[in-house]
Amino acid sequence: MKISGILAAVGLVLATVSTHAENLALPITEIAAGIFVHNGVQGEASAANEDGIANIGFIVGADAVAVIDPGGSFAEGTALRAAIRAHTDRPIRYVILTHVHPDHIFGAAAFRDDHPDFVGHAKLPGTLAQRGDYYLRRLRSALGDEAAGSEVVPPTLLVSDRLDLDLGGRHLSLQAHGPAHTDNDLTIFDENTRTIWLADLLFVDRIPAIDGSIVGWLKELDEVSGIPAERAVPGHGPISVPWPAAAEPERRYLEAVARQTRAAIKAGIGIADAWRHVANSERGRWLLFDDYHPRNVTAAYKELEWE
Amino acid sequence: MTWFTSALLVVLVLGGAARAEPSEAERAARWADLKHAIFGDRVVEDAGDRVVIDAPMRAEDAALVPVGIRVAQTLAPEVRGLYLVIDNNPSPLAAHFLLGPIADPSEIATRVRIDDYTYLHAVAETADGRLYATARFIKAAGGCSAPASKDQALALERLGKMKVNFAERTKPDQPVKAKLLISHPNNSGLQMDQVTRNYIPADFMQRLDVTYNGQSVFRLESDVSISEDPTFHFSIRPADPATPGVVKAEILDSSQRHFSQSWPVPAAAQM
Repeated sequence: MKISGILAAVGLVLATVSTHAENLALPITEIAAGIFVHNGVQGEASAANEDGIANIGFIVGADAVAVIDPGGSFAEGTALRAAIRAHTDRPIRYVILTHVHPDHIFGAAAFRDDHPDFVGHAKLPGTLAQRGDYYLRRLRSALGDEAAGSEVVPPTLLVSDRLDLDLGGRHLSLQAHGPAHTDNDLTIFDENTRTIWLADLLFVDRIPAIDGSIVGWLKELDEVSGIPAERAVPGHGPISVPWPAAAEPERRYLEAVARQTRAAIKAGIGIADAWRHVANSERGRWLLFDDYHPRNVTAAYKELEWE
Repeated sequence: MTWFTSALLVVLVLGGAARAEPSEAERAARWADLKHAIFGDRVVEDAGDRVVIDAPMRAEDAALVPVGIRVAQTLAPEVRGLYLVIDNNPSPLAAHFLLGPIADPSEIATRVRIDDYTYLHAVAETADGRLYATARFIKAAGGCSAPASKDQALALERLGKMKVNFAERTKPDQPVKAKLLISHPNNSGLQMDQVTRNYIPADFMQRLDVTYNGQSVFRLESDVSISEDPTFHFSIRPADPATPGVVKAEILDSSQRHFSQSWPVPAAAQM
């Protein structure tokens, strides 16, 4: 009687904790068996969205869980962790960081107590070293108190080409890419469901941001287009899109930027003005076009003027 | 220590204060301090429209802001030096060009880092020591501590490499217009490695010499305010347009590395 009373009380506490956790949990959708994705908002980082602007999520195997991008802040990472715990109590063995950008990595500290391997591209530590401090200061200035707890967590397991992770009855193939969206992009293929998690190698609806190499990105896009996947998870846009059809708008934009930036360089148009002459047909086809397009052309110009 | 570096140190001590948006009076006071640090008690006159700064109102990438200085033809033949000052940068004297007699100072341009909303000042110095200044306000921030490098493997592989693009000429006596591209990280020393908590060491171009057939076009004394992988637009009026020309660029960086490369100037296209 006494013991069952205690158990009941414990049960009540657990129920309360679990309800609390569910309240804090990030909304999440199972897009294929065991693949859960949260849809980031299409906007810029702010205190209101806790930098939750990217698609992030997790994959559940028979033995363990892999997080794919812990989110844009400690607060978002904590809510993602709560969402995981609402679905499964299996250990979180891997936290995969698809690339260096703040909206994908700053939730990592929320998973420290799980002692996972933090998995990243072999070039991630170098880029984190260069940029981490700057990104953290910028996050704090955009989010204020909501940035509390967000930290740079260096990867503990590096991928220089390919790496297979076993979650129990489920193999994830990780591929490290050459410079594309950034110089440290990782993608994840789940064989069970034929799902390719492309993160920011694929932007849908939101304008792609060039922070690696436009020439390299087009090359990597060709390579990943050959992957026999049924669906892809883009880093920004809907949480599941048909593959490879969903790559077309991004390819069209990048090709237009590359072609017309080369023409601008040849015509002697300066780097500050080039964007006005490049890919104007793309305006109106992308969210946040005016926020990123001039910067994209500046980046493409700086790369292509060396050709 | 050269007067150049001592001027910088004075300025570094003066700077580094509050982040609040300065008033116009404070901006004017800062320029007065900078002017004194760089030029001492020399008179600095208003250039009027004889010196103009070309820069975007708002920079798309604060680590890579194109800035040009144009000198009117009425003044250009007398000009032997150009200074570019970025008032609110941690190291404000971004560039000092010492121009040779064959340089055409009517237009010279580079790319800089801009740390905060700031005035840019350009000062032209004539052969007889007069100084003419002009100013322009620019909205950009974060350029000194923001690393621009997008592909670090490529940056290392290409370190010290240079490239020149020449504008086409239709007659041999037209000025030779060139754009020089230099691959160098120009690390500012203001980026912290978040993992080791150490600052990434400054590593930047200190001096760039551009010559044409052995004669100086310009010498640049520069600093961490110059962008990663900078470009330089300049123009040459060869003394003897009939002789085939060779442009040579030589760099000395803060790690005491030397780089040099030369390029034949394409002949004017026959019309």
